[in-house]
Amino acid sequence: MDAHAKREGPLPPMWHYGETEHDPISTKTLGFWLYMLSDALIFAGLFAAYGVLAQPMNAAGGPTIAQIIHPVAAFLQTIAVLSSVLAYSLATVALKTGNRNGVLLGITIAIVLGIAFIGLELSDFASLFAVGATPDRSGLLSAFYILVATHGLHMMFGILWMLVLIPQIMRSGFTTAIVARLLNLRLFWQFQASVWVCVYVFVYLRGAIQ
Amino acid sequence: MTDPHNPEPDPLRHAEVQQAGAIGYVSGTILTIALLGVALLITEQKSMQPTPVLVTISGLSIFLLVSQAILFFGLDVSRYNIWKSVSLILTVPLFILSIGLTVWMFHALGPVMAMPEMPGMPLQPTTLQ
Repeated sequence: MDAHAKREGPLPPMWHYGETEHDPISTKTLGFWLYMLSDALIFAGLFAAYGVLAQPMNAAGGPTIAQIIHPVAAFLQTIAVLSSVLAYSLATVALKTGNRNGVLLGITIAIVLGIAFIGLELSDFASLFAVGATPDRSGLLSAFYILVATHGLHMMFGILWMLVLIPQIMRSGFTTAIVARLLNLRLFWQFQASVWVCVYVFVYLRGAIQ
Repeated sequence: MTDPHNPEPDPLRHAEVQQAGAIGYVSGTILTIALLGVALLITEQKSMQPTPVLVTISGLSIFLLVSQAILFFGLDVSRYNIWKSVSLILTVPLFILSIGLTVWMFHALGPVMAMPEMPGMPLQPTTLQ
């Protein structure tokens, strides 16, 4: 203790104060990223349930997975979701230079393509309902609908988030809070592309070879 | 960088805003659509046995997910992304284990339930039916 008191010059810092500045944007994006990882584990549970139930025995005499999925038609959904993700991602490229019109245009295109994706999915569901392949028909169909629709529900919430952000950007511009929301939505929207890769391969392509 | 009359820094100069790159996003999109198209062709041709097809399309999907982590999410070991990268690496085994172990635990369910009924040994329907 005494040795420290007699030491000449400034005391060495116990903490580098210059590096502890609060960063509201990084704090929010890391927090949201951790939420998304927990969301990924929800999908893991749904994929696990589907993996168990995706067998002809669990069709309970009803249609098997190979009879209800259409990988070629679902490829249109793949193009729609990835184009939407690209449009939103390019909106955040426009954000770098504060190009408000570019950001709004990218978000608008992302919304339109996202709605197209959901429209294709609902159309697919409607055609299955028309032939009696409803979720309560068998355990296999329950797992199929829940897995695919959960991804679709995420897409709907993403679109809703974009619709809420547009008036905020028009009213307030690129404040710290709005920029953090735009970055979080980029993470969320790109995450939907990753989940769709798993859904398309695990449900549609794997189902076609069963 | 910081205006003395306005202590809040410009949010558009933040590293996570500036990390956005059109080349990475366009490359990631084209790569994903192209490889999923290849996986679709392999599946539709039906010229291979199911197991090799399954292994091939699973490999393509893993490659795509890693590519998206880099090209879309921009994950790396920089100061702004290191903890995102670490948390993802720690979560991936949980994701794989939760799916893999569950499917493995029940993998015998299909063949067992599909057994023909034997005299004196009637198979009872399960709740899955």
